[in-house]
Amino acid sequence: MELSERKDNDVTVLEVVGRVDSVTAPDLGDRLTSILATPPRRVLIDFGKLEYISSAGFRVLFLASKQAGESGGRLALCGLSAKALELFSISGFLKLFTIAPTRAEGVAALR
Amino acid sequence: MAHAVETSILNKIRDLSRIPDWVAGFAAEQGLSDDVVFGVNVALDEMLSNIIKYGYADDAIHEIRVRLSVAGQVVVAEIEDDGEPFDPCAAAPVNVDAPLEDRKVGGLGIHIVRTLCTEVGYARVNGRNRLVMKMLLEPNTRKGIHGTQ
Repeated sequence: MELSERKDNDVTVLEVVGRVDSVTAPDLGDRLTSILATPPRRVLIDFGKLEYISSAGFRVLFLASKQAGESGGRLALCGLSAKALELFSISGFLKLFTIAPTRAEGVAALR
Repeated sequence: MAHAVETSILNKIRDLSRIPDWVAGFAAEQGLSDDVVFGVNVALDEMLSNIIKYGYADDAIHEIRVRLSVAGQVVVAEIEDDGEPFDPCAAAPVNVDAPLEDRKVGGLGIHIVRTLCTEVGYARVNGRNRLVMKMLLEPNTRKGIHGTQ
């Protein structure tokens, strides 16, 4: 898994490339914790180049969402494939996150 | 004819990082779709990480065997370990509809595996856990997701 960050106005866009699983999820969690620790605490996670995500990934998204909720931050996701959306749905996470089709729509949802 | 590959990993989370490349090699040979590879990787990550984190009462090094095969329209992922007896088929279901703040994340992996797989089988044989997970090669035809009549 590789992570790259860029700023779009007040929103940090975090692009996730590759696999989010038991091995890599802690790195994603650390990065999200760090972004959400500093105002303006707006983060869009772009999963357009995601290979797969397992429950270890859902766990860090869950914790990041809690952290955002407690600190006045906001979190949104974009670029999810149909298969990834199926996993979000199976896990019951579909309705717990702001999910946008594209990066532009995701940024707009957070502004 | 069924084609199978086997590998083994040690009971270390870091050793799990070898699995996706191994799956990718098998998938290329067999022409498996990205969606099937997605499901196989998730299922293996869920169950192997469970075994590594919770399966052993000691701190010793253990070997976990993993096997992949294709038989007809089904891909079969098998895991064999010498950890404590654990039947994921008997685990209590999780409530994925609970509010976010009430959610417990543990148990989610097994829920995902049970949903992705058409069949999950468990047996304790000669002091070893044997888990068999079966997934359809064309998951979109399952459960009429795309309205197949």
